[in-house]
Amino acid sequence: MIRIQNHAPEGFIALDNSALIYPPTEAVYNANTFRVSMDFRFTIKKAVLEQALHDLLHRCSYAKVGLHTGFFWYYLSPNEMPAIVHEEGPYPSGRFTFKENNGYLFKVIYSSHRIGLECFHALTDGAGGMAYLKLLVERYYYHAGIGKPEFADSLEFNARPTKQEFSDPFQHLYDKKLPSYPTINKAFHRKGGSYDDRVKVISATILTEQIKERAKARKLTIGEYLSSVYLYCLQQLQQIEEPVQYKRKPIRLSVPMNLRKIFGYDTMRNFTLFAIVEIEPSLGFYSFEEIGQEVHTQMVQAQSKKRLLSQIKRNVAGERNPVIRFAPTALKNPLFKLLSDYLGDDQYSGIISNFGYVPFPKELQDTVTRLDFHLSPGLLNKVALAVIGYLDKIIINFTSFYTVDTELEHQFCTFLVEDGIDVEVATNRNSER
Amino acid sequence: MAYCVRCGVKLTDGAKSCPLCGTEVHLPAGIEEPVAEPLFAEPLPKEGTKGITKAKKGMLELIIILGVVGELTVAISLWIANALAYSFIPLFSIGIAALSLLAIVLAKPKYVQQASWQCLLMAVLFLGLDGVDFAWFWSLIGAASLLLFWFCGVFPWSRWAAEHKKVSALMMLASIIVFLVFMNILLSQRLTWFAPVALPMIAFITFMTGLFYIWLTARKIKRIPVADMILGILVIILGSCTAFDFFLTHYQKGFFALRWATSLGIAAVIILTFLIGVSVSLRFRRFFTSHNQHD
Repeated sequence: MIRIQNHAPEGFIALDNSALIYPPTEAVYNANTFRVSMDFRFTIKKAVLEQALHDLLHRCSYAKVGLHTGFFWYYLSPNEMPAIVHEEGPYPSGRFTFKENNGYLFKVIYSSHRIGLECFHALTDGAGGMAYLKLLVERYYYHAGIGKPEFADSLEFNARPTKQEFSDPFQHLYDKKLPSYPTINKAFHRKGGSYDDRVKVISATILTEQIKERAKARKLTIGEYLSSVYLYCLQQLQQIEEPVQYKRKPIRLSVPMNLRKIFGYDTMRNFTLFAIVEIEPSLGFYSFEEIGQEVHTQMVQAQSKKRLLSQIKRNVAGERNPVIRFAPTALKNPLFKLLSDYLGDDQYSGIISNFGYVPFPKELQDTVTRLDFHLSPGLLNKVALAVIGYLDKIIINFTSFYTVDTELEHQFCTFLVEDGIDVEVATNRNSER
Repeated sequence: MAYCVRCGVKLTDGAKSCPLCGTEVHLPAGIEEPVAEPLFAEPLPKEGTKGITKAKKGMLELIIILGVVGELTVAISLWIANALAYSFIPLFSIGIAALSLLAIVLAKPKYVQQASWQCLLMAVLFLGLDGVDFAWFWSLIGAASLLLFWFCGVFPWSRWAAEHKKVSALMMLASIIVFLVFMNILLSQRLTWFAPVALPMIAFITFMTGLFYIWLTARKIKRIPVADMILGILVIILGSCTAFDFFLTHYQKGFFALRWATSLGIAAVIILTFLIGVSVSLRFRRFFTSHNQHD
């Protein structure tokens, strides 16, 4: 198997396979960013955070890069500009302005009690972003003299980066003999109301114990339970928007899966594929129990290595196609922009990214007050849902482009409340809402 | 900490309303909650930013690339064929075609905006193609016609015109007069047929249209039957043809007479009489209609 980046000239780092689509498609309503952040009891000092960021870039040299446009592809190359920490703005996961960030693909943000890391997806995925944040927090604690906490699976500061950290496993796993994964037709998209590019957040906090119990009663995992609730809410919204049953399009959710554990890689680049879970409302109304069964079955199937390898084959084969490979970036860019919806967002009705549980070391358990994960919404799917668990809580963040419409969030939270789960909501929407 | 009475969710301290359904929070009198820290450091800006969406950006890039590739291909081909002297027309046409496509993508998807840009670019194309030798003739006719089309076929649909109907009608009339004056001068180097033919024709058509408009608007019932509409327009067209023949004969022969439009004139008079009849006499109208609900 060929590793494309091995043949690259010095100072040239090829984007990983799933990152290729992000730079050309970056635009208003298509930020391709995410944010992970931690809130602390103590006040954050900018100078200390800058030291921590310096350490982070020293340890993770593969993050000390800028994005450049090559003749055939976008590529990364070492960035010698100083990295900056930014004060937190009004909303997370907005459009990334590389210039303001000295060309870096991730942004360290802080507010009085928060340290956050906002990342352009071309650099890494959620797991990679969290690994950077963990190291950043560890180094912050160290420089602030608070302690030396060590996260369970964090990067070791004093160790040299391993080869695996900056490898692109997609290229390793590519097998051209496999059949390609089939593409699917259009999914249902909500019409919603007016929208603008401000990211409006509704954050729901729930107790892990409660949701675990409700999910267990239905023989589902927490992720499957939340995906089922999401599908159920979308189904109800679709019924209002499309009263004629046979005209209803399939409702699909895109559920990012971290492939590191499945394939045993420790890369710090993108290594995620999307599981698609769907229901066919044209066949009739699905009860929540039916949706739960569908989601459970489809999630198990989606995690099958064979299916994942077939998906990887499809994605990498596209990159290796000689016509695509040797077409100039100037021609590929507009085509990627025009085709990305058809091959991506068009196929699903919503995205739910479940980060899972993040264990904290003892030193942090009393000082961390909140952990957040935010996704950038898109133009077709204007509400994105990101889930993260810590200590005894789970935070569900809805990021939305809708100016006023909160119907999906309303349905989702009301369902949880009716199912016996306490939900606490907060928002950055205007005070009257 | 308050709960939303409608959704049942807990709200953050100090929340005035539920973020999910907008239901207001009413605390018992005398109780004041501390305000919780906001979700983010800064409040949400009042407006979003403007920018070009992904699909639009893609279309723009594609048009620019195809435009550049087209220009280069033609230029190189002509250069190889040693015919660079003839390169202006194809290069200019490709450029205008690219600009026209860019206008389709960039302008608001409204008829007035799109049609205005296309009229402008078409006029520039005409003037450019005709002006290779710095002598303009046919393009002036084309450009003036496009301007007339804009005043009569695009501008009346604008928001301003809808708000100022009388002014826009006058502007339309003025544009027709200016167009005819311009055409007369362009074709004959001085005013010839404008005063004896065009001006009386404009006056006649305006008068007839005005009458038709008054007849339609003065009716008791506002619903206008399609037949009345068609017949009214027919009277204007046939009458205008007759008037044209009348004034043209005077301009060409020096006396007023009808040469080829006599039958058209008679037809106009018959239809007009019929319209007056159905308007004046209810009995007459009922004779010709299948129902008796008209005024």
